[in-house]
Amino acid sequence: MVNTAIVEELRGIVGADYVLTDPADLASYAYDGTFQERRPALVVSPATTAEVVAVVKVAARERLPITARGMGSGLAGASIAGEGGLVLSLTRMNRILEIDQENMMATAQAGVITGDLQNAVAAVGLMYPPDPSSLKHSTLGGNAACGAGGPMCLKYGVTQDYVQALEVVLADGEVLRCGGKNIKDVTGYNLVDLFIGSEGTLGIITELTVKLIPKPAATRTAKAVFPRMDDASAAVNRILLSGVLPSKLEIMDGTTIECVEDYLHCGLPTDAEAILIIETDGDAVNAQREIETAAQVCKDSGASEVQVARDAKEADELWLARRSVSGSLGRARPNKLGEDISVPRSAIPEMVRRIKEIAFRHELRIVVFGHAGDGNLHPNILFDRRDPDELRRVEEAVADIFAAAVELGGTLSGEHGVGTLKLPYLEMAVGPVAMRVMRGIKGALDPLNILNPGKVLPRELHCERA
Amino acid sequence: MTETTRLADLTHDELYLHCIRCGLCLYTCPAYLETLLEPDSPRARIALVRAAAEGRLDYSERFADRIHRCTLCTACEKVCPSGVEVEKLLVEGRADLAEAGLLSPGVRRLTESLAANHNISGEDNSRRLIWTENLPQPPLGAGKAQAKMAYFVGCVSSFFPASYSIPQSMTRLLEAAGEDYALLGEQEQCCGFPLLVSGQEPRAEEMMRHNLERVRALGADTVVASCPSCYHMWKHVYPEVLGELGLRVLHATEWLADALEQGRLKLKPLPGRVTYHDPCDLGRKSGIYDAPRRVLRQVPELELVEMRDHHANALCCGGGGNLESHNPDLSGALAERRVQQAVDTGAQYLVSACQQCKRTMANGLRLLTKKGVKARLRVMDLMELVERQLE
Ligand SMILES: Cc1cc2nc3c(=O)[nH]c(=O)nc-3n(C[C@H](O)[C@H](O)[C@H](O)COP(=O)(O)OP(=O)(O)OC[C@H]3O[C@@H](n4cnc5c(N)ncnc54)[C@H](O)[C@@H]3O)c2cc1C
Repeated sequence: MVNTAIVEELRGIVGADYVLTDPADLASYAYDGTFQERRPALVVSPATTAEVVAVVKVAARERLPITARGMGSGLAGASIAGEGGLVLSLTRMNRILEIDQENMMATAQAGVITGDLQNAVAAVGLMYPPDPSSLKHSTLGGNAACGAGGPMCLKYGVTQDYVQALEVVLADGEVLRCGGKNIKDVTGYNLVDLFIGSEGTLGIITELTVKLIPKPAATRTAKAVFPRMDDASAAVNRILLSGVLPSKLEIMDGTTIECVEDYLHCGLPTDAEAILIIETDGDAVNAQREIETAAQVCKDSGASEVQVARDAKEADELWLARRSVSGSLGRARPNKLGEDISVPRSAIPEMVRRIKEIAFRHELRIVVFGHAGDGNLHPNILFDRRDPDELRRVEEAVADIFAAAVELGGTLSGEHGVGTLKLPYLEMAVGPVAMRVMRGIKGALDPLNILNPGKVLPRELHCERA
Repeated sequence: MTETTRLADLTHDELYLHCIRCGLCLYTCPAYLETLLEPDSPRARIALVRAAAEGRLDYSERFADRIHRCTLCTACEKVCPSGVEVEKLLVEGRADLAEAGLLSPGVRRLTESLAANHNISGEDNSRRLIWTENLPQPPLGAGKAQAKMAYFVGCVSSFFPASYSIPQSMTRLLEAAGEDYALLGEQEQCCGFPLLVSGQEPRAEEMMRHNLERVRALGADTVVASCPSCYHMWKHVYPEVLGELGLRVLHATEWLADALEQGRLKLKPLPGRVTYHDPCDLGRKSGIYDAPRRVLRQVPELELVEMRDHHANALCCGGGGNLESHNPDLSGALAERRVQQAVDTGAQYLVSACQQCKRTMANGLRLLTKKGVKARLRVMDLMELVERQLE
């Protein structure tokens, strides 16, 4: 499908160094943050929106499927191209274009690393709250395309709540600009939100304008150790019902704690069944009062030990520990499958119980951590993909976890997206009517089905209609 | 933790299994930061070695190129939550590539010269003391048969004119402090480091054994090296390969910090701002961050400032891992990036404790200046700076 003439044409657009076809280079774009792997036919790395437009036009003409890729940290297999596909790597589009202090908005290219934007706006006293644990290794475009969240999102909302405007290259190479710096805007359909969580299936995001907020004057962090998991998950709701709205409220189970401790040696209690890490913010008095309330609730709910960080350094260590969870799981087993279920908060204790039961039934190690405060849990199944029997049990466990989440009124993914990994379960979660609407949207925006086909929606479903 | 396997228990080819491809290493990698292309990232290099080991990818020139576009600076290892030992993995990868005849041409020339001359310069090893020739009088340690301390000069400082001043300063400092030291002269051979990082351990071992015998013949109880790679070899690799050395191994900065703090050397004030670049082999790989800073604190009126990335996070100068032999342009670009960090501090002196860092960063400074960056900065080695301040 990809002949030398096309390769030469693309080289003419982005420069010879930025079209890769060598097997060794294709192998470097064959993966994301999951255990899946598939080599694309070629990789193109544009530096400007104009280059993206030109590349998309060539791809549309040649019916070449395009998979946008940020830093490939995704956990749903969504940035892995299909057979014969083109990976459009956006990492070179890494310029922060404007920090508008008066309107508290920043505009940046899609390939900017989220943490870099956070640092740049922090330098002028502002904050960009969406804080996926992958903030140093994921892009703003990827965050928008996946609807990324993080600990901070309990109080401040997810990526979606901050994206104000987008520049998107559509499937035919047309450039769509939607949204703007207006806080309120109901002028027509909300096109910005349409692209949130679209995983590169509706358009290529090239530029984003995001909202910023003033940086809170103070934060306080506490760690609560629970000998029993049940007590920890029950404490989550009690804290929120006590009138405190923490800026972060995270849970880690026993195995999670062991893996992180093995990596960081930061004195986490490896004999506890769970810990909660809580952060409050606001002015100094408020942050202090709220952390004290939360600490008391934890004690009353069965915590064996509650420790409020004495200074910023101690607090940073705790959050580094939390951010390191996902990565450090590689210490336990070679592979992990990180799920991302989201359940109503009241169902957290029951969901955690069911996960443990599913692990027991399938003889697997499943660790649980996540954003307890908003009901978004990350059961991670640890395994070795070289063992076919274990792999089969993993698949069965995944189905059981999804079924349990849906049964409890929850859903498949809170922030990682569907990709290919959750695709088979999508209809179970959203129902046939929503599936039809989604297919309609996909057909309207991408009639040739060249934008990341086979992600979110099955490849064939769409083809049948076309 | 009971069920978790410790990495130390694993064989090397199992190491890559623990890379879960999270991508956290990308932003620490100087080569990736330069090109922003995944194949220049640690995650990709691990994936390549793994794919080859699992029979899913053939070795090719491009494969070899990607594996060599790395300074082995190990900044990635420092942040890897899974504890993947990237350097070990890549050195093994390079060894396999060498066996398959795919050693980088630049690196092959280097290793051929090593085999022929026992040094990296291509010159005859009898010229080892060429750096002493323009001194008013030869260093006291030259030609000495017995001494308490052996000063291991290293190839770059011995043969590359721009680095002569480092051993010249070092010997003058040793003498000013009244140290009983000797140079190995033409008996010194390459420490083995460049061979080891291009995957040619057996050849490296011969030279290591030779060097150890020469030092023992002096009856010395201490080896001091001003080159961090030589130091790293002597301190960590020699004992691993040759067994207990029975020697104290010091980096020049450690020796100098002690000598200054014991009052054995007196320094004039240097009113100026200095920033210190941590060499990868000295900092990240040997854990020596304090000694050079202790030295700088002993210089009266000197103001020490840190660059954005320092200590374990220090950005590599671009001079490591034989990258300069493999791809001088990429190495130069990395150097520019590092020197820019120094320029940003407003320092007048960018000081390192490694002849290779000094060379690479001096080149980086030239490249930056050519681009019109105004930099009132001098790149120096710590030994040179301190020697200039001797009373
Ligand atoms: C260790 C670890 C921790 C993580 N923690 C979190 C967390 O706390 N919260 C969270 O939400 N996620 C987390 N993730 C998942 C992942 O980091 C996020 O999904 C992130 O948003 C992906 O960004 P990326 O730039 O890596 O995108 P990629 O992985 O490259 O791509 C992901 C999807 O976005 C699409 N895409 C990327 N860029 C564009 C673009 N410019 N235009 C259109 N489509 C695009 C791709 O096609 C693909 O479908 C974590 C991952 C890892 C490995």
